[in-house]
Amino acid sequence: MKAKKRTLNIIYHVLVFCFGLVMIYPLIWMIMSSFKETNTIFTTAGSLIPEKFTLENYVNGWKGFANVSFRVFFQNSLFISIIATIGTVFSSAVVAYGFARCEFRGKKILFAAMLVSMMLPAQVLMIPQYLWYQKLGWVGTYLPLIVPYFFAIQGFFVYMMTNFIEGIPKELDEAAKIDGCSYYTIFTRIIFPLMTPTLISSVIFSFMWRWDDFLSALLYVSNTVRYPVSLALKLFCDSSSSSDYGAMFAMATLSIIPAVLIFLFFQQYLVEGVSTSGLKG
Amino acid sequence: MNKKKQTLSQWLNKNSTAGVVCTLPFIIGFALFMIVPMGMSLYYAFCDYNIISPPTFSGLKNFQRMLTDTTFWTTLRVTFKFAFISVPLKLLFALIVALLLFKGTKMTGIYRAMYYLPSIIGGSVAVAVLWKRMFSQNGSINAILMALGVIDSPVSWLGNTSTALWTLIILAVWQFGSSMLIFLSALKQIPTTLYEAARVDGANGRKQFFRITLPLITPNIHFNLVMQLINGFLAFTQCYIITQGKPLNSTLLYTVYMYQQSFEFGSAGYGAAMAWVMLLLIGLITLILFATRKLWVYDGGF
Amino acid sequence: MKRKLIAAMAATTALTAMAGCYASAETTLTFAWWGNQTRTERTQAVLDMYAEENEGITFDTQTADYNDYWTKLATSAAGNALPELIQMDYTYVDQYADNGLLIDLTPYVESGVLDVSNISEDILAAGTVDGQLVAICNGVNAPSLLYNKTITDELGIEINDNMTLDEFMDIARQIYEETGIKTDLPYEAADNWLPYILRSEDIVDMFTDDGLNVEDSSAFERFFEIYQIGAEEGWIIGADIHAELTSNSVEESPLIYYSSESTQSWCAFFWSNQLSAMTEAAPEDMEIGITTWPSDDPVKSDFLKPSQFFSVTRDAGENEEEAVKVLNYIINSVEANEILLGERGVPATSVVAEAISPLLDEAGQTVTAFINDVVTPNSSTISAAVPEGASEVFDYANQLVDMVLYGQMDAAEAAESLFTEGNSIMSR
Repeated sequence: MKAKKRTLNIIYHVLVFCFGLVMIYPLIWMIMSSFKETNTIFTTAGSLIPEKFTLENYVNGWKGFANVSFRVFFQNSLFISIIATIGTVFSSAVVAYGFARCEFRGKKILFAAMLVSMMLPAQVLMIPQYLWYQKLGWVGTYLPLIVPYFFAIQGFFVYMMTNFIEGIPKELDEAAKIDGCSYYTIFTRIIFPLMTPTLISSVIFSFMWRWDDFLSALLYVSNTVRYPVSLALKLFCDSSSSSDYGAMFAMATLSIIPAVLIFLFFQQYLVEGVSTSGLKG
Repeated sequence: MNKKKQTLSQWLNKNSTAGVVCTLPFIIGFALFMIVPMGMSLYYAFCDYNIISPPTFSGLKNFQRMLTDTTFWTTLRVTFKFAFISVPLKLLFALIVALLLFKGTKMTGIYRAMYYLPSIIGGSVAVAVLWKRMFSQNGSINAILMALGVIDSPVSWLGNTSTALWTLIILAVWQFGSSMLIFLSALKQIPTTLYEAARVDGANGRKQFFRITLPLITPNIHFNLVMQLINGFLAFTQCYIITQGKPLNSTLLYTVYMYQQSFEFGSAGYGAAMAWVMLLLIGLITLILFATRKLWVYDGGF
Repeated sequence: MKRKLIAAMAATTALTAMAGCYASAETTLTFAWWGNQTRTERTQAVLDMYAEENEGITFDTQTADYNDYWTKLATSAAGNALPELIQMDYTYVDQYADNGLLIDLTPYVESGVLDVSNISEDILAAGTVDGQLVAICNGVNAPSLLYNKTITDELGIEINDNMTLDEFMDIARQIYEETGIKTDLPYEAADNWLPYILRSEDIVDMFTDDGLNVEDSSAFERFFEIYQIGAEEGWIIGADIHAELTSNSVEESPLIYYSSESTQSWCAFFWSNQLSAMTEAAPEDMEIGITTWPSDDPVKSDFLKPSQFFSVTRDAGENEEEAVKVLNYIINSVEANEILLGERGVPATSVVAEAISPLLDEAGQTVTAFINDVVTPNSSTISAAVPEGASEVFDYANQLVDMVLYGQMDAAEAAESLFTEGNSIMSR
């Protein structure tokens, strides 16, 4: 019996690990390519290991554009992504609590509005949004990339958290109310701490999406010095002249590091399952 | 004074007031950042608009144009196929992997990272190059399949109208990380006491899954289904950076065609009209999902 | 909860305050262009030099890749917030000028702020729309067939400039038979290649304002016929191979990037300023030659094209004159062009072109000679800039080429479709 369990265990690890390798194979390919000489990337696309291992791509890429090194782009991206993520997570949590635990007139309509706002393709809102932010005097600043997120503008997060809160037993609220908590303190003392798993997922998603977002950066950032990484990466490839794929792969490799670190740091809390102890059936 | 203060805080602590106060950020944000742009784009849908000069009202012309635009119908068909195949596959994968990675072993962190990583690189330009190389005739996919004996000679996955869309579907499925994470955190939320009770009752693993796990995560399945369907119908990047609709429009997704019309062909009015038609379609599908919700989604506490 | 909201509000206020800091007393000119790292570096260096020499002038620079650039520019145009100075393309100059987005530079030429005395009439005319000089050419380009000289030499094939289409197809057949190496015709490039062929049929301008400037569909047949012949005889690089490549990218051109003979091409249709990038990206043992695109009537087909322009926009306002001065500096200053080194094409200003020619690398020298000795004496004036709607027609033509390559249509049917659909697109 014990031996059988052990074999099963080994099979589990081998399977999960091998399939995981398949999953990240394309990434390994990208990382390996970033160490190849740039004019051999395509000609040796079939082999994973570089014929000649070089760091030149990293040097060239890091130089950046027009005296602006990639360090600056990273700083910009970090600034935007972190601030916007903080805004998204807190505002969405509050709004989600309102949706999940309160009844008020117009709630259904409001919830529908939130869903509908997700159904319009972002590309079609580019022009009107640009014109509107221009009216507000925000074009050329980071404001359009940051401020809206403090107003729970991404329905995805609100909806996700609403779902989560609805899964938390109402008896906890009732008990807290008897103890003299108001709706607001129930949120801050009971619900918010219990939301940890979904908050963590939100941080991971939001950071990643803000980091990857290049469309709004393209429209609203008006100086190369203030470009985020997502936009700068595209500058390596210009079909009308020539492209430096080596440098692009090198910087693309570096650019996934922050999101990976955030994931690795936060996911351990998912493993530990902070919230479960508080829940009783 | 004291009495008045009392009533104010009482008023604030009414369930309905608390609801409005809590959702206030969204109400403000929606009014400030969404309503005006959405309204403007709705107006553009009834205009001739090439972006670089002001729009002129043209009535229903844009909507009439759709009826005779064969490319429009092609993209609609392609998009439905893309969404209806990629979304269920993605969710299935996400759920299976989440269940596999749920139990904590020493390796779990690394495994989770491995399965989540593909989502992180998202739609960057690197993916475009990468994906084309993977699926090219001398690429890894062909090499692996040939080594396994599945195919005899290299297949032109990207050049064949019947397979090209599948490369995009596989890309979408490959990036199942966010759905997986949502399932993982949902699994975490299930009280362990339920399983303990079930074990006492002698329920085996499969029974536990179908009696406890699956019902309890139906809200999350519903959520993922709604969100991923919306994302599926609005999918843009995969097509835009990899295939641009080729070959023969067999991979041309709706939003990419809309973008081309708006920004490349100077018909932003037509593009806006297309966007609102898509909104109606997605709205309808979402409505159906919500209407059938109570049939299969477990609601209420534990 | 309230505290959160207040915190959010406070953050908003702080950010608004931050945004306010960017105003300054100096004149800041915004300059936008598309291009790669090299172009960005050189252009920035020139602007830095200018800013140093002219106190009170600073630059905000915006760069993007080609497609993003036009998206961003259109959006800024909608918001009346175009950068003062923009890089302009021949494809867009007509639309932008027609909508009044580019200022007429003639007054500045008359007042002497802008010196165009060393730019040829033809090239100046290319930047003139409805009698207004709206764009100044900054580099001259010509359609160029880049080819694998190593292979043609090995086979003893001589590539002559100004070859005809029939000669070209004979070479394609010969190379295919002897080596299995194929030929890459322009792909996703109807906007360049279709007018090039039409010019040899005396159709200089393909479009009228609301239709196609052709009598019937037969004008388009030659264009599709070549693809049909190539597909039938097997020597063409097919659409399936192109589906795996980035169209019109130097690095992924089948001329230099291939896995076997069946995905390799002995030639590629490009522009003269791309020779140096192609040479750099090519394998070391491959020599790249340059010649004209083939045509039934090379002299009628060939032309010199402004690789790109610079324009001053309507939204420049009070900075208009300062922007024109910068423009003048870029096109006339030898010092500046010693940095730019013809990366955008052979400088349009003859004095500058001469001054920098000794500094150019080998590819640069070859291109200059090619433009001056091969194309200039054997070419005709460039066709008028295309009107709005043209890009959709060309996109449709590209789709039809795919249909022909996949054998779903023959040349005559494709020509017929292009004629009908093209007219309907233009009349919309």
